[in-house]
Amino acid sequence: MSAKQEEMSLDKRLALVSFSRDPEPFIVVDTKLCQECEKKPCLYICPAEVYSWQDQLTYNTEGCMETGACLIVCHKIGAKAISWKYPSGGKGVSFKLG
Amino acid sequence: MSLEGFEVAVVGAGPAGSAAAFTLAREGVQVLLVERGTFPGSKNVFGGRIYSYALRRLLGDRWKDAPVERFVRKEGITFMTADSSFSVEYESKDPTGSFTSIRAKFDKWLAEQAEKAGASLITDSRVDDLVIEGGRVKGIIAGQDTIPTDAVIACDGTTTSLARKAGLATMLEPQEVSMGMKDVVELPADTIEDRLGLEPGEGAAHVFVGDCSGGLRGGGFLYTNKDSLALGMVVGADDTSTKAVPSHTLMDKLRNHRKVRRLIRDGKTIEYDAHMIPEAGPKMLTRPYTGGMLVAGDAAGHLLNNGYTFRGVDMAIVSGIAAAQTILEARKRKDYSTQSLQTYERKLREEPALKDMYTFSKVPRYLRNNRLYNVYPELVCNAAEAVYRVDGNGKRKIYKELRAQTKGKVSTISLIRDLLAGARTF
Repeated sequence: MSAKQEEMSLDKRLALVSFSRDPEPFIVVDTKLCQECEKKPCLYICPAEVYSWQDQLTYNTEGCMETGACLIVCHKIGAKAISWKYPSGGKGVSFKLG
Repeated sequence: MSLEGFEVAVVGAGPAGSAAAFTLAREGVQVLLVERGTFPGSKNVFGGRIYSYALRRLLGDRWKDAPVERFVRKEGITFMTADSSFSVEYESKDPTGSFTSIRAKFDKWLAEQAEKAGASLITDSRVDDLVIEGGRVKGIIAGQDTIPTDAVIACDGTTTSLARKAGLATMLEPQEVSMGMKDVVELPADTIEDRLGLEPGEGAAHVFVGDCSGGLRGGGFLYTNKDSLALGMVVGADDTSTKAVPSHTLMDKLRNHRKVRRLIRDGKTIEYDAHMIPEAGPKMLTRPYTGGMLVAGDAAGHLLNNGYTFRGVDMAIVSGIAAAQTILEARKRKDYSTQSLQTYERKLREEPALKDMYTFSKVPRYLRNNRLYNVYPELVCNAAEAVYRVDGNGKRKIYKELRAQTKGKVSTISLIRDLLAGARTF
């Protein structure tokens, strides 16, 4: 019997989660500060890779799972560039099997 | 719904909030329970298990109506290297002590119990701020609405903006929080039972330490739902950030380990979840009360990971009950001042279930020792390999073999220190 091993990727994972887009920006990053950031901890802590780096910091809040960990690592290890709050009521991620 | 006339606002309809709202409403208090998700539980994630005693304490016999996936019969831990593993398993004589569940079902059900008792639930509502007058919390602000109340119970989770706004907390340190992630992998019920050696309907809880966390402070977990496995990783926020290992890559490391691969074979992943876990314990707040406000659940650090049991929901429920009882007493006195509410702290310390947080208060620091994740699991596996392997080259006695295994991995002094500290901590 050939065992079927499911190949996973982050894109595949994120496609399994329901999001409702918040028109109001709930994460705002002062990306100028990120240029000077040595460790860039947001790139590694985020389980959804909301943050990415190509010469500068870019971020896409649509996959945000609202853990709030980016705020902590940015302010304690990084460049204090991230402002973060929860999305508006009823918006953002919605887990069915958490 | 009119937002006037509420005596108490409970922010967050997770286990702490719903337990508090239920306890207050049952005594005739006008309670507003505010949830930012579209339904209670929609923002919540956990590993997978709830200890039953807390629910029994809250609801009496009606706890049996809870949405249970499986009662946990088997507890296990696996130490792993990249290509070997050493597992220990315990089969309990009584599985009713804890059960696996799904938060979207459980939290929703618990909030319904609070509603049935008379609490008013509003969903889709983010609480942005507190009304503070004369140094005392006098209500909440949610969007356009200012809602005056006699008291607020903040059960707004790990990020607890309300405790910070009330001056009870500063931002947590990265080493005080962990990132939790999980895949929910769908499998037929009988396949789950066959693979984990379970009777129909019974469940298992398992912890993985070693290779799966790639040397970082963390570990894996597995819980059995009815028709799915909840498989996840928890990793220290400081470790994943400063060592530049993307947190979610550990999920694949766990899934691809031979021990785990077999368990999820032919399964279909149906959801990915993540949540931040506070690991600092109750000291994450300067105190869990101030004039007009109490803090309970994750927001107050009321949870306990002592390395072999992971408790959040039960402690949240018990702290929610304690918060509600504190409010009931203050209500009798018609006094919600800081001084009046300080009885909460004593309740927390005297409550047998919560006392565990203080008993095991040194555990978080002990668990920050990275040897637990990148030295000892390998040591255990290598020792087992040496003990069980017969290759005709002569065998050493077990004690000598164990000593030989530690060479170059950990100094005798460190080993003894870790063992002694462990004995004092647990």
